[in-house]
Amino acid sequence: MANTDATEVTFRPKPSLPPPPNTVGPVGWLRRNLFSTWYNTLLTAVALWLIFFTLYHLYDWGIAKAVFVADSRRQCLDTSPEGACWAGVFHWFNAFIYGRYPYAEQWRVNFSFVMLAVWMAPCWIPRVTGKIGIGLSAVLIFPFFAGYMFAGGDKGLFVQFMLSAAIVTFLSIWLHVACCLLTGRSLPATILSLAGKGDDTDPRVQRNILVGAFLVALVIVFAIQMPWELRDIPTNNWGGLFLTLVISGIAITTALPAGVVLALGRRSKMPVIRTASIVFIELFRSVPLITILFMAVTMMPLFLPETMVLNKLIQVIIAVCLFAAAYMAEIVRGGLQAIPRGQYEAAQSMGLSYWKMMGLVVMPQALKLMIPNIVSNFIGLFKDTTLVSIIGLYDLLLMLKAVSQNPRWNGLHTEPFVFGAFVFFIFCYAMSRYSQRLERTLGAGQARR
Amino acid sequence: MAMLEKGSPARETSFALMVNDERYRSVFYQIVAFALIVWCAWFLFTTTSHNLATRGMSSGFDFLGNTAGFAIAWHIIPYEPSDTYGRVYLVGITNTLIVSVVAIFFTTILGFVVGILRLSSNWLIAKLAAWYVEILRNTPLLLQILFWYLAVFSILPRPRDSLNIFGVFELNNRGFYMPSPLPGDLFWVTVLALLGAIVATIALAHHSNRKQASTGQRIPVLWPSLGMIIVLPLLVFIVTGAPLSFDYPVLQGFNFTGGTSVPPAFCSLLIALVVYHSAFIAENVRAGIQSVSHGQTEASYSLGLRPGLTVRLIVIPQAMRAIVPPLISVWMNVVKNSSLAVAIGFPDLVSVFMQTSLNQSGYAIEIVAMVMLFYMTVSLTISAALNVYNKSVQLKER
Repeated sequence: MANTDATEVTFRPKPSLPPPPNTVGPVGWLRRNLFSTWYNTLLTAVALWLIFFTLYHLYDWGIAKAVFVADSRRQCLDTSPEGACWAGVFHWFNAFIYGRYPYAEQWRVNFSFVMLAVWMAPCWIPRVTGKIGIGLSAVLIFPFFAGYMFAGGDKGLFVQFMLSAAIVTFLSIWLHVACCLLTGRSLPATILSLAGKGDDTDPRVQRNILVGAFLVALVIVFAIQMPWELRDIPTNNWGGLFLTLVISGIAITTALPAGVVLALGRRSKMPVIRTASIVFIELFRSVPLITILFMAVTMMPLFLPETMVLNKLIQVIIAVCLFAAAYMAEIVRGGLQAIPRGQYEAAQSMGLSYWKMMGLVVMPQALKLMIPNIVSNFIGLFKDTTLVSIIGLYDLLLMLKAVSQNPRWNGLHTEPFVFGAFVFFIFCYAMSRYSQRLERTLGAGQARR
Repeated sequence: MAMLEKGSPARETSFALMVNDERYRSVFYQIVAFALIVWCAWFLFTTTSHNLATRGMSSGFDFLGNTAGFAIAWHIIPYEPSDTYGRVYLVGITNTLIVSVVAIFFTTILGFVVGILRLSSNWLIAKLAAWYVEILRNTPLLLQILFWYLAVFSILPRPRDSLNIFGVFELNNRGFYMPSPLPGDLFWVTVLALLGAIVATIALAHHSNRKQASTGQRIPVLWPSLGMIIVLPLLVFIVTGAPLSFDYPVLQGFNFTGGTSVPPAFCSLLIALVVYHSAFIAENVRAGIQSVSHGQTEASYSLGLRPGLTVRLIVIPQAMRAIVPPLISVWMNVVKNSSLAVAIGFPDLVSVFMQTSLNQSGYAIEIVAMVMLFYMTVSLTISAALNVYNKSVQLKER
């Protein structure tokens, strides 16, 4: 109960004075961050001069004196000898993206990448369930679809089957999304309730209905896709950013599962498996990627029976995947070591088997903890794929270099490299920003406020 | 529930026992894994030897004694085209090591400077350093190497119009020329004085540490040791009559003679390696310094230590613990990434041995094995050094 005695003197604080004018607002910010001491002022002046110097010369070279429309480097030099010759970059733009992929067939590449984006898009729609399944299907089934779209040619029975499976999966994902958004139920639940077995107690009946529906759809799609045939495009025509994305994409998607397996192998109690994992990881981690690529190109034909001839792209992809797996294994191991023993013991005391303990308790925590490292490894891998240009695959870097060997653009080095650096920067910077966001959202539970 | 019913002992076969009982299971898995490895090894061995036989290729390390017969553009140990493949291997190793060691030295300095600038209280400087790091980290090293080589060093002027730096260095499209020192008769006395000063400095630092540990008093180390290392050799140098002259590069005809020179490929590789990896070291340094909790600084201030001493005695020793392990892995990457020299024709190990020698002699397996052995030795040496360092600075707990 408050004392309502009128004679009591209550403390009434006066409103606080505003801070001194030179510590607030833009002026205060400037004083605090740029001119706090005499040497900070000096540093600011140096930095300003540096920024001005760089930007002025960049602008002068890249925009003010640059040539945007020309037919050859000679013409560029005649128009403005001191400026950049962006005309060459524009002229080669298509080759930078697709390499020597025939112009008429480039829609296949575009279509596949759009398809992948649409396939993965439900993972970012909040109300959709089963996102892990969608992500897994994109990793396991989509590559067959993309592989045929890129390479084309004669369809074997297996490719036809996988192509149909991919189309059915894609359609069912988007039917599933529609069901989730409209009714809030998953696609299997909707199919079951349409069949009138929504609350059937026997799981086998439900499973048979779902498998039956899938098979019917598969047969229909199979019949439809039978006559489709795309022009054969051999892999030595693949190139540019497209090839870079194919190699790094495959390496990145195989690196994580392979790394998890190797890391578990390295921490296993079984000596044979542990030794094999350690030897593999240390061997691949201690030598440069370029030696592994050389080894793949020069030695793989010696290791394999004469009847088995791999093309260069496949050799390179195998080498990059092995390399990536070894690096990822060490990152996953770091994550596993950071999980307290109590988590393992708790999982064991609940009676979980080894794989359930790892899959449900330990791995999710370890991977979440290691997100920054995993993504920076992905970025490193993306950058390292440029090494395939050394052994003669026309990836983005070699396409950039090839410009200067063309008679019309002879000697044009700087502009293509600046363009390439910009492309790589955009990709890598976007990846690192996304990982920082992911880290914040997933780590929200542990954030200290 | 269903699992319990299925697993009743009556239905346990010997195979199920092997898979379900942990004792047998691990043995079973290992036998399977071992058999798989042995089968793979046997398969690789037989197919490879079959392939080698059908192609008429020989194997073994005898080729190391054969004459290589090709020239190497730049080498620091003597080499002639009439030398053997074994010599080529050594030339490749020394070239790789020299470029790596120089790159590691400059990378570390530049990385520390940028890392400290990133923490500057000056907003503009911190932002500039941050953009330096972001731009360099997010573009491929190979692209940077090619950029330096093709877009910077290959458009340098011809020797006759070469760029003169500080009056003693010359830079042109044949390379970077610097004066080489010619030690005189009594120069060894100066070297001896320098070595003596270094030994005395180490002794002083050791003594100072022991004194501080036992009494708490600090003896100044920095200024006396700087004085010893710089002043003492300088005095000896002057007293003995400055016995050191330089052989300056001089333009003769179409090229420079005299002095020492490195080719443009060396310069581009070195600059690209230094600039690229310094961004990574800068991030490590920043993370390391930020990992020292602010309470440590506050505690040090409350004990009355001044900011300079706080940084030197409290922050840096704790930050080093977090900086050094990633720092050493960056060093390892510098060594490994120096192999990208093959793209611009700098004769490093991969270029002279794994490319030229392999193409000429065809001993693929032996050459690949030797190159990998070298890189593995370097990696293992560096990581062993790391482990020793880590043991000495780890937090001593419990």
